[in-house]
Amino acid sequence: MKMYLSLVYRELKQTRKHYIIMLALFLLVLAFMLLPLFISLAYGGAINGDVADINGEILFCAAPLALLGGIAAGTNNGLQKADISAGWKRYSFVLPPTAVQQAVSDLSVKICHILLFGAVTAVYPLLMHCMTGANSVSPTFNLYFGAAAAAVLTDAAYCYIIMFAKTKKDLAIIGAAAFLGAGLILRVTDFFTGDINIPEQSAAGRSLISEEALNELIAATGSTMTTVCVLAAFVTACVLYFLVMWRSHERREP
Amino acid sequence: MNAYENAIEIRGVTKRYDGFTLDNISFDVPKGCIMGFIGQNGAGKTTTIRSLLHITNIDSGEIRLLGLDHIKDETAAKKRIAVVFDELPFHDVFNVKDMARIFEGMYPEWDNDAYLQYTERFQLPQKKKIGQFSKGMKMKLQIACALSHNAELLVMDEATTGLDPVVRDEILHLFMEYMQNGERSVLMSSHITSDLEKIADMVTFIDKGKILLTGYKDEIIEQHGILKCDKEKLQEIDAEDIVSIRTNNFGAEVMVNDRENASYKYRDCTIDPANLDDIMLYYVHRDAKEWS
Repeated sequence: MKMYLSLVYRELKQTRKHYIIMLALFLLVLAFMLLPLFISLAYGGAINGDVADINGEILFCAAPLALLGGIAAGTNNGLQKADISAGWKRYSFVLPPTAVQQAVSDLSVKICHILLFGAVTAVYPLLMHCMTGANSVSPTFNLYFGAAAAAVLTDAAYCYIIMFAKTKKDLAIIGAAAFLGAGLILRVTDFFTGDINIPEQSAAGRSLISEEALNELIAATGSTMTTVCVLAAFVTACVLYFLVMWRSHERREP
Repeated sequence: MNAYENAIEIRGVTKRYDGFTLDNISFDVPKGCIMGFIGQNGAGKTTTIRSLLHITNIDSGEIRLLGLDHIKDETAAKKRIAVVFDELPFHDVFNVKDMARIFEGMYPEWDNDAYLQYTERFQLPQKKKIGQFSKGMKMKLQIACALSHNAELLVMDEATTGLDPVVRDEILHLFMEYMQNGERSVLMSSHITSDLEKIADMVTFIDKGKILLTGYKDEIIEQHGILKCDKEKLQEIDAEDIVSIRTNNFGAEVMVNDRENASYKYRDCTIDPANLDDIMLYYVHRDAKEWS
């Protein structure tokens, strides 16, 4: 146990700055989302109306919050890169912790941060639930863990690639290749060239999404089946991340 | 705790890189001994150290650390080993106290009091970030960490390189103190031979991936000598006595590998004692035989 505490302490201390910045940005976005509520309360107003309508409005704010929180918590925290740059990666080969123990520590730190950001993300739907009675906790939860799973999976892939870097030069090359690769994928998939602006159609009086479709979307994102699928995806992502980190700590220099 | 005679046993280790081969090297570091591992830059010192610490995999051969297999018993061995690299491998954001918290869980025999004593002796500030330390302070911190978990084997890779003579002397003195109980062993690689002459009991000399000499330092120094003669006399010297010859305008300086024998054979020549630096220099040029 003492071994894990040492490993986790090192990682938390090392990644503290990264997560503080992420958390500060996230809290800023959360505050922005809560602003309308505070203004409404400050002027003595109340949020009234059909619960289904309110649910949709709340989810409209909670969804980006959950996605942002999930990505911020699950994304790469720069530890592997910093360990290679500082020489700790090489030094870790001469220390007693095994590759499995180090991988467990990596995963623990990741999960700790996902739970922390998850708790902060939950503030918004819970607050809204208390204020309006509308329940958007379940869809927010699913979106949050879905985003976290995707971020952890991406991080696992990134860590797998970075595993082959031994020097700062290798890291720079991998970083540049990843940047160019991502750009190429977006270009090939035509992500840059979507026609958002359609001048011949007027937006006046139209809704972005029909009420029926919105209700279906809310029902789908909040369903138990979605929760099970999202949790399964999250667990799979965590297992993959653990395996990559295990291999990374086990792999010796050429 | 297992009984062992040699803290390090390296048998027939080969490691191939593109353009460099660590070629079937073998040597032992007996328990309670300081072994100096010398050779010029690129000779294979770091590759040997990385191989024995299992930082890199070897192509063939066998390595035992404290009587344990360096791969199968890796975790057990590494609890009893300390390593000091030429550069501090700790992140800049940590301070002296942080390092104690990190290492105390990793090493079963971590001694916080000993660590505190070392850091106080080295006058290392407890709360200052490592990133703000000088090179000397960083090396002292690494050494304080290495000496604070009662390691039986200390492996150092160019630990004194780049440090000023005062800090180097302080560190060497500390190593000698650390060795006093007779149970600890040190493998210290360096190309600063004067450091090793001060503290090493044994010396292993590596060049181009091959071990050229290994044995007790005093015996090696005693065996070798620099014979001074003119160029005519040089023709009379047996090739088997010569390591290599350094020529100059006045004659030649010949490194002989058996000083006592040479002093009988070549009575009319002066033979000066050689130091480790000389021995390294003449052995490096052994293929050219004559150099200036």
